[in-house]
Amino acid sequence: MSATGDAASDAGRVSMRGIVKRHGALTVLHGIDLDIEPGEFFALLGPSGSGKTTTLRILAGLESLSGGRVLLDGRDVTDREPGERDVAMVFQSYALYPHMTVFDNIAFPLRMVATPATGIDRAVREAAALVHIDHLLSRRPGQLSGGQQQRTALARAIVRKPRLFLLDEPLSNLDAKLRLETRVELRKLQRALGVTTVYVTHDQEEAMTIADRVAVFMEGRIAQIGRPQDIFAKPSSAVVAAFLGSPPMNLLPAEVRAGTLRVAGVDLRVDRALGADGNVTLGVRPAALRIAPAGMPARVYLIEDLGDTTIVDLDVAGHIVKLRTEARPNVREGDNVHVAFASHACHLFERDSGARRGD
Amino acid sequence: MLLVAVAALLLVVWAFPVIWALLTSFKTERDVLAYPPTVIFEPTLANYRDVLFGSASILPNLLSSTIVAGASTSLTLLFAVPAAYALARLDLPAKRASGFYVLATQMLPPVGLIIPYYLVLQKVGALDTYTGLIVIYLTFSLPFAIWLMVSYFEDIPREMEEAALLDRAGRLRALWYVILPQVRGGIAVTTIFVFLNAWNEFLFAVVIGGNRVRPVTVAMFNFISVEQTLWAKLAAGAMLAMAPVILLGLIAQRHIVKGLTVGAVKGAAR
Repeated sequence: MSATGDAASDAGRVSMRGIVKRHGALTVLHGIDLDIEPGEFFALLGPSGSGKTTTLRILAGLESLSGGRVLLDGRDVTDREPGERDVAMVFQSYALYPHMTVFDNIAFPLRMVATPATGIDRAVREAAALVHIDHLLSRRPGQLSGGQQQRTALARAIVRKPRLFLLDEPLSNLDAKLRLETRVELRKLQRALGVTTVYVTHDQEEAMTIADRVAVFMEGRIAQIGRPQDIFAKPSSAVVAAFLGSPPMNLLPAEVRAGTLRVAGVDLRVDRALGADGNVTLGVRPAALRIAPAGMPARVYLIEDLGDTTIVDLDVAGHIVKLRTEARPNVREGDNVHVAFASHACHLFERDSGARRGD
Repeated sequence: MLLVAVAALLLVVWAFPVIWALLTSFKTERDVLAYPPTVIFEPTLANYRDVLFGSASILPNLLSSTIVAGASTSLTLLFAVPAAYALARLDLPAKRASGFYVLATQMLPPVGLIIPYYLVLQKVGALDTYTGLIVIYLTFSLPFAIWLMVSYFEDIPREMEEAALLDRAGRLRALWYVILPQVRGGIAVTTIFVFLNAWNEFLFAVVIGGNRVRPVTVAMFNFISVEQTLWAKLAAGAMLAMAPVILLGLIAQRHIVKGLTVGAVKGAAR
């Protein structure tokens, strides 16, 4: 959304309507509905096997679908070949052509549409400069580091000025430090180019930091769509809550009885609407928990010292609960303590359906 | 050190017949029969002169062999490469079954096919013709080449083509510009094997060919007769017959070494 002001970004509106994908008896996607705005950086986030990559491949035209329509800028492209969709993709493995130089790799999409040689030369050098590999043009992919290969794949996508970038876990083969750097660069690059980008990742932190909006995939369905901060603040279900954050949200079985919340054998006074009586799942983010004189009884199970923060694993009535704090807490493994949280920091989900309770 | 010793031993075992034939080809027929065998003798080029330009010149036969082996190799590659690609990549009905059929044809001992092939060629009037012999060779080399090439195509990640398809290459240009250059090694290995088999083939050549079509293997057989065996000339002929194949092998050597280890290490750099 941030890049929609760019004049060049009017193209690249994506609509997916009721996308169903079956492999024999197995249904991989159960009716996906998505709308992506021009210029938006949109992440498809989910655990492996959740259908996010399949969705991306359907968008690219690499995967047939069993039902539904794909629209690009209002045009139905469901039955169009990948090459007719004007989309560029960066594969997880980069899929660079090993027998060609970096220059030829980047030039390939232009040569396939008979671009004049002078135009190719200029476009390749521009694209290579954008991702800082203009000094490597005569090398072959085998002579590049992982990061340089990744940039070559990016340049090959950029050079065409497509209406849509599709990125399939583009950072997952980089080491941790490079991944963080490239993430920032990728975001900057996308803003500068203003091209709609669909980004597949299983790394929730990556999706949160890089995307304008996120679709969380769970078992072939979209569990939630929204801005990262909104999804983080109000996960629509217990599974989404359990997937986001590091460490993710703690979930504990609880009961609502006459306006009080009963967790781990104690009644907690919670200063918010709890809804009807019944079984619920209580969700609290690790950072929202603190060790207090009163609250849920817990035993310190393990202390993980991460340097700037500490994660305390607590045993609360047989459930491991993680507490994150920046000050090293004055407890030791085996201590019996109490943990508490602020009323506004608690999330309630229906025990059976996992759906969020209204608040 | 032990490795070098073993390698040297193997080399001696393999090289001995070739070296012996090479020596024999420079001997007179009398020296050949000398007992104990002589290693030091007065070399002569007479055998080569006879074999090349004498009354029993094998030059026309070398040409024959070149035509048969060359044509069957080119045709094999022309059909086998696209067929292997299709088997490796496309979702064809009965793909597994056809793959097995291709392999099954290799299980028949060739001898069992001589009579049926002879009869078929006789019926269509293709006995003792280049067409006839080449077609017969294709029935052996095609399944083999397809089967060999499939493994090379399967070694290439599908994402290569997908990337090319998204780059607007289309299926055929993706094959030509992206996939084929990456299976060059496989094509080289297949070429060598198919060419070698056709070049060295004797059984079908002698039965189905014979007069108008007489490859060098058949011609060399003429040096062996009831009365005497002209060992020196046979050796000279063998040396000449080996030359083109060795040349081809040297040209493609770089690819062969790589190619023979295909699949040995999954995902190894090509």
